[in-house]
Amino acid sequence: MAVHPDTGNPLYRPLRVFAFDPSWGRGIGNYLTINVPYEDLKPGPCGQHLMVVDYDGNNDRYYAPVNLDEAAVMLGNGLEPSESDPRFHQQMVYAVASETIRRFEFALGRPIRWRFRSGARDDPNRQKLRIFPHGVQAANAYYSRDLRALVLGYFSAAETDAGSNLPGQTIFTCLSHDIIVHETTHAILDSLRMHFMDLTGPDMQAFHEAFADLVALFQHFTFHQAVVDSIRRSGGMLHRPELAPAIQPQGGSGIRAEVATVNPLIGLAQQFGEALGTRKALRSAIGSRADPQELKKCTEPHLRGAILVAAVFDAFFTVFFNRIRDLLALARRAGWANGDLPADLAVRLAQDAARVASHFRNMCIRAIDYCPPVDMTFGDYLRALITADYELVPDDDRSYRPAIIDAFRARGIVPDGVRSYSEESLLWSRPGVETGAKAVRCPGLDFEPRRQQAARAKQAKRNAAALSRFGSQNAEALGLAVEVPVQAFSFHRLNRIGPDGQLKVQIVAELLQQKEELRDPKDRNSGATFHGGSTVVFDDNGTLCYAIHKALDSQTRLERWREFHRDLEDRSSLSAYGLWKPQTEIRFDLLHRGF
Amino acid sequence: MPKKNGLRRTDVRIRMYRVGFGDCFLMSLPVGGSFAHILIDCGVHARGDIGTMDRVIENIAGETNGKLALVIVTHRHRDHISGFASGADVFHTFEIDEVWMPWTEQPDDRDALRLRKKHLALAGALESHFAAAPPSSPAALDAVLNASGNQKALDLLHAGFACRARVRFFQAGDRLDSVCGIQDAAACFLGPPRSAEFLSRMDPPKAEGYLRAVGGRTVEVNKVEPFAPKWVRQPSDPELKNLAFAPKEQQELREELRRSCLEELAFALDDALNNTSLVTLFTFRGLKLLFSGDAQYGNWQAWLDRPDAAELLRQVDFYKVSHHGSHNGTPRRAVEGMPQAHFVAMVPTQDKPFPSIPRRPLMAALEQRTGNRVVRSDIVDVAKAPKGPPAGKLPAHFSKGEFWVDWVSTVGAARPAKPASAAKD
Repeated sequence: MAVHPDTGNPLYRPLRVFAFDPSWGRGIGNYLTINVPYEDLKPGPCGQHLMVVDYDGNNDRYYAPVNLDEAAVMLGNGLEPSESDPRFHQQMVYAVASETIRRFEFALGRPIRWRFRSGARDDPNRQKLRIFPHGVQAANAYYSRDLRALVLGYFSAAETDAGSNLPGQTIFTCLSHDIIVHETTHAILDSLRMHFMDLTGPDMQAFHEAFADLVALFQHFTFHQAVVDSIRRSGGMLHRPELAPAIQPQGGSGIRAEVATVNPLIGLAQQFGEALGTRKALRSAIGSRADPQELKKCTEPHLRGAILVAAVFDAFFTVFFNRIRDLLALARRAGWANGDLPADLAVRLAQDAARVASHFRNMCIRAIDYCPPVDMTFGDYLRALITADYELVPDDDRSYRPAIIDAFRARGIVPDGVRSYSEESLLWSRPGVETGAKAVRCPGLDFEPRRQQAARAKQAKRNAAALSRFGSQNAEALGLAVEVPVQAFSFHRLNRIGPDGQLKVQIVAELLQQKEELRDPKDRNSGATFHGGSTVVFDDNGTLCYAIHKALDSQTRLERWREFHRDLEDRSSLSAYGLWKPQTEIRFDLLHRGF
Repeated sequence: MPKKNGLRRTDVRIRMYRVGFGDCFLMSLPVGGSFAHILIDCGVHARGDIGTMDRVIENIAGETNGKLALVIVTHRHRDHISGFASGADVFHTFEIDEVWMPWTEQPDDRDALRLRKKHLALAGALESHFAAAPPSSPAALDAVLNASGNQKALDLLHAGFACRARVRFFQAGDRLDSVCGIQDAAACFLGPPRSAEFLSRMDPPKAEGYLRAVGGRTVEVNKVEPFAPKWVRQPSDPELKNLAFAPKEQQELREELRRSCLEELAFALDDALNNTSLVTLFTFRGLKLLFSGDAQYGNWQAWLDRPDAAELLRQVDFYKVSHHGSHNGTPRRAVEGMPQAHFVAMVPTQDKPFPSIPRRPLMAALEQRTGNRVVRSDIVDVAKAPKGPPAGKLPAHFSKGEFWVDWVSTVGAARPAKPASAAKD
């Protein structure tokens, strides 16, 4: 086993999990071992950034915590997958959440740090994300910023129509790989962009949901065995919702092997969905025809988010099929008709699928650094995707970007103020390029690594001051409001290695401004905080490359914000009875319950 | 030649009964020398009953001679159907041609079945939960009560009454060129829709922890014990060192995790049922009459997005205000889309049991939009019933009765008979 050259610790701690959820049994590589980056763990598991606490709020009790350092557990790569042993559940949530964090850190080129502001100051665990694998009895799972926690529920499956579950069987959301990834992604996104949980427009909740779904879905393509199986049984057509049965049925299906099964790669949380009596996965990435009008009509966050997910997956499949077309053509010429693909070809295609998926996932994650700090729309995200990828891979010889642009256009995702769907107009504009103004530089930025905690804090303070000053002095060029205080948040150095092997260094920071506004101009008591700001990206010597802004003093933005809140009130089932209260932040606990 | 009801053969009359908090409308259309009658809903909320229902049903029987061309049930809430149960004996004697209901009532439709089953189970669970643990807002319980105890009325309606009327189900987009053979009458249905978004809103979640009072004790009915006892640990257990919370923190966490959302759920269910409302736009000799049941945001939204919605709204002559004039019963877009000072509106309402209904800003907007031709049912004084706001003179073409308000509109004569067009099922 590889060990760390400095500490002598192992590099990884292999842990077993379900690749999907218990309902898939041992099939399709569902028993999976994840190599979690090694860290010292206390029972729980409780590590440096994650803390699993098996407290059950409904029964007001704790369950025995797993000790992953126990010899017997370590020798077996963690505990065997089991539904009846809570310690396996704890192991799985820890492993899957850690793996999700690791993938973000890899894509972003920097560590993920929580930015919780609640909790007692002297609590040593204040900056840990807590995970309650059996927090509540409810068909629900959510991220709560106030609790600094992922709360995962358990419940009994529908008494009838429970799909492949036993009627009334206990379903654990913490055993669904997808659900853990999804909720962890909410927490990570919140740590990256704290104003993405503000309710400022119809795309905010939808984006949080879509992004979490995208990360969970792309994760599927890292499960080699499942991907090979799906590719083989779909003849390479990975987007098909159904997979051919193991044996071709002759006049009606008799045995189980003759029954077609769902394609596990493109559905989310199969067991959870079936347990609710829907007969299908909770959500599916694709399967709807692209309708450019749909986005205009759709307000429910999950359905709206599904449009974004579908657009990204359209692009993914386009790139994937372009990449494997020659191989399929060769196979056909060599005598392969439809039906099962030859095994070694399936393995080869699975590798391609994994590669494209991992590239897409990284693109989706990196784009976050190029999003405006507040009030994001799907159109902004498209521009962020294109810009982020352009910065890293200027020549795009695999045509990822045209595929993305085309897919977004087909789903009616229109960025504000963009003249055409060409790559040039979608790239965020570089300040000064059109006016010919001189490049602006932010002096005094310092991102040299510091070993000492105190030195790091001091450095952060100095950088914040430099950025705020820079923001105030260059308000106009940055799209900020003049003479309104500027606050700098989440500034980082991005270290990325492009496909050409070059290290690409950029500095990114959020500059924020706020003011008080009336949600309803006729109602003096409807005051709320209205945010504006700019995401600024510098090159490594502090010269400004992008200022991606949402103007604080934009009347259009203010009107849209008011309209959105009016609409929220009009839609709420509480308002008929005079019980509606304004909501300014996303509440995932309510959202997933379908109110 | 005046009839016994005082109507001329070119008069259309819509009678809004004052039943309390509930809906009951009788529309009379001139056909040849007599009138065809359409009854739209007949029910009153248990907490808003002013005791007129028996007399209302008697009056309907008298006005129609026990003959109804059509009964429309907009949705299955008590305040729209209770009269069919309480007045079952009278309705048994009626001759009724057709009964219309929303598609969500269809007996053999899979989606409809699933929704009904879910809604019933949820209403039952919420009712017993609130009995054991009263909600902080009484409106939550009132909203739930409205959804339960309606089986007798529903059975009667589904059977087509004693006379075995033809029972039909409609959804948004359906249209009829001929209504029960009434000459010149047509209908198109604007709600309820069947889209995925609509269905997802109709689907309140399940599997929460419900309480029920059993012999003076409160128990959790569907409590799940997820693990065998051997896995349970006390907070003091050494295994939980560094993990267990301090008692106060644990208490707070427990409350936060268990914070009940059942009140919100009660309103979500109420909203869901209201949105199953059959929204019917009648056309009769140039008149356009819009009956919207209790449609709320989700139901309206689906058809307001239709390309012809603006045109439809602009032509409305009469609007039955949805959901007793509640906040989200009539979307802003709908009010603004109706023709300024060219339509009238009727609101069956009173401010009991829900103080927020009818919503004042909406009433004011409707006053403005109709040119002061919106009339509430509580304008009629009924002994011991809550009083409506002080009313001035009734607008033209409106008149008050003992426990009803009439609106009469004169239409052109019948069009020359043309070959009957085939009715679409």
